[in-house]
Amino acid sequence: MLDFNLNLSATADPSELYDVIIIGGGPAGLTAGLYAARYKLKTLMMEKEMVPGGQLIATQWVENYPGFPEPVLGQKLAKDMEEQAKLFGLEIMREDVESVQLSGEIKEVKTPYNTWKAKTILIATGSSPRKLGLADEAKYAGNGVSYCATCDGPFYPDKVVAVVGGGNSAFEEALFIAKYARKLYLIHRSDSFTADSILQERVKAEPKIELIPNTVVESLAFAENPRHLMIKNIVSNKESKLTVDGIFIFIGSIPNTGLFDGQLELENGYIKSYPDNATSIEGVWVAGDVQEKKLRQVATAVGDGANAAHAINSYLLHRQA
Amino acid sequence: MPILDDKVMQEVKKALEKMQKPVTLELFSQSFECGYCKETHQLLEELSAANPLLSMKLHQFESDADAVKQFGIDKIPAIAVIGEKDYGIRFYGIPAGYEFSSLLSAILLVSTGIYKLTTETKAFLDNLKKPVHLQIFVTPTCPYCPPAVMLAHQMAFYSEKVKADMVEISEFPHLAQKYSVQGVPRTTINEKWFVEGAAPEAMLIAKIKESL
Repeated sequence: MLDFNLNLSATADPSELYDVIIIGGGPAGLTAGLYAARYKLKTLMMEKEMVPGGQLIATQWVENYPGFPEPVLGQKLAKDMEEQAKLFGLEIMREDVESVQLSGEIKEVKTPYNTWKAKTILIATGSSPRKLGLADEAKYAGNGVSYCATCDGPFYPDKVVAVVGGGNSAFEEALFIAKYARKLYLIHRSDSFTADSILQERVKAEPKIELIPNTVVESLAFAENPRHLMIKNIVSNKESKLTVDGIFIFIGSIPNTGLFDGQLELENGYIKSYPDNATSIEGVWVAGDVQEKKLRQVATAVGDGANAAHAINSYLLHRQA
Repeated sequence: MPILDDKVMQEVKKALEKMQKPVTLELFSQSFECGYCKETHQLLEELSAANPLLSMKLHQFESDADAVKQFGIDKIPAIAVIGEKDYGIRFYGIPAGYEFSSLLSAILLVSTGIYKLTTETKAFLDNLKKPVHLQIFVTPTCPYCPPAVMLAHQMAFYSEKVKADMVEISEFPHLAQKYSVQGVPRTTINEKWFVEGAAPEAMLIAKIKESL
């Protein structure tokens, strides 16, 4: 069954002064967009990807977001969130933000094509996959090195792959890739995994997956034939060769704060939030994975987004009065 | 049964309201040994019924040698998106899934002449001396792919020197082998140079410069 997705960029007017510009269209931004548009705020979302949804887009199944007793596809959930927000008038521009000017009464958001202006800004830029930091890792990205199972998993039918990581993402995505691959090595630097026990049980029950604990990847030998990894057991210090066709890396994420360097207060590398999702600058709010907090999930991101939109609406009402 | 459901068809009609000049979708197809020719044909039939400015023309790949040569078609199904002239915008394989947006964008691009390229890109394309052939390898389920396709198509629209093909790689496994595609999107420049992922405009331009 073929499906057809239509995601065309809005054609918004750069001479407008928006009530709020939301930077980033993941679950936090989309929820804020839904609330803000429903409050009748003049709302614009900047999303660099074609398809809003942030990391949901790279997630196969979501099974801990309430309201879906059957696991829901990440891409489906994202699409539904987008449609719901658009129903209330959210405009989504497909432009990649290059710089922002957050101080003062009028904030500016620059893209390669336009400078957009708004009374308030909501930062919902999320986070990006963390890299292992190996030589040649960037060179082979998309050609043996991947950070997205739903994107690249199907390119490994009957192949042998390594998955690196010990958290929920590594375990969930390993189970997905195992549908395609013949053999999967799950490599983790420790022998205790942070993945939820339900996922650990499923991984252990999957005969194609072999756990390699207490082990780090030292280098990629992808120019050689056959392709292999050099791995090292950090308990025994023993090095060995592991023949694989590709490697998937799920070792956490780093917050996308680059745009705000030197403008906003950070905490542990994430944007420091104050009550009601405020930041250190008046008129600027933060929501979702980019915000300093304990739990980064769809369920917490949508809560942040709703809170922030509510606070922005109150602020604008107050400012008008 | 229609290939586009009612909801998508409504969205399509709304999007195509922006059309200004007529666009013809030149489809190359054949009745045998072609995975998605039938579906692509049906898709274009339904699309061309959505707006009077949009039409389709069917060519037989195995027998219509003149058209095959004129549009430079080398695999099927193929769509050439033609407006006032041939800008070198092609789709090989069915533009389904997320690539449906790339097709609609190409139609609107050719019909309205509205594109989004930076001043730097335009300056580079204005001075381009050698031909540039961009092939964007994609799959319909790849949400990061359409921006790469749309960027390439806009460059083709802007510059006579640039041709840009979307290639739905799962329909052409021999090309996946030939160009060792293990992830999408993957852009090849003049057959030899590669860019992985949906490269920002400046990065693609830098790579094209390097390749020339």
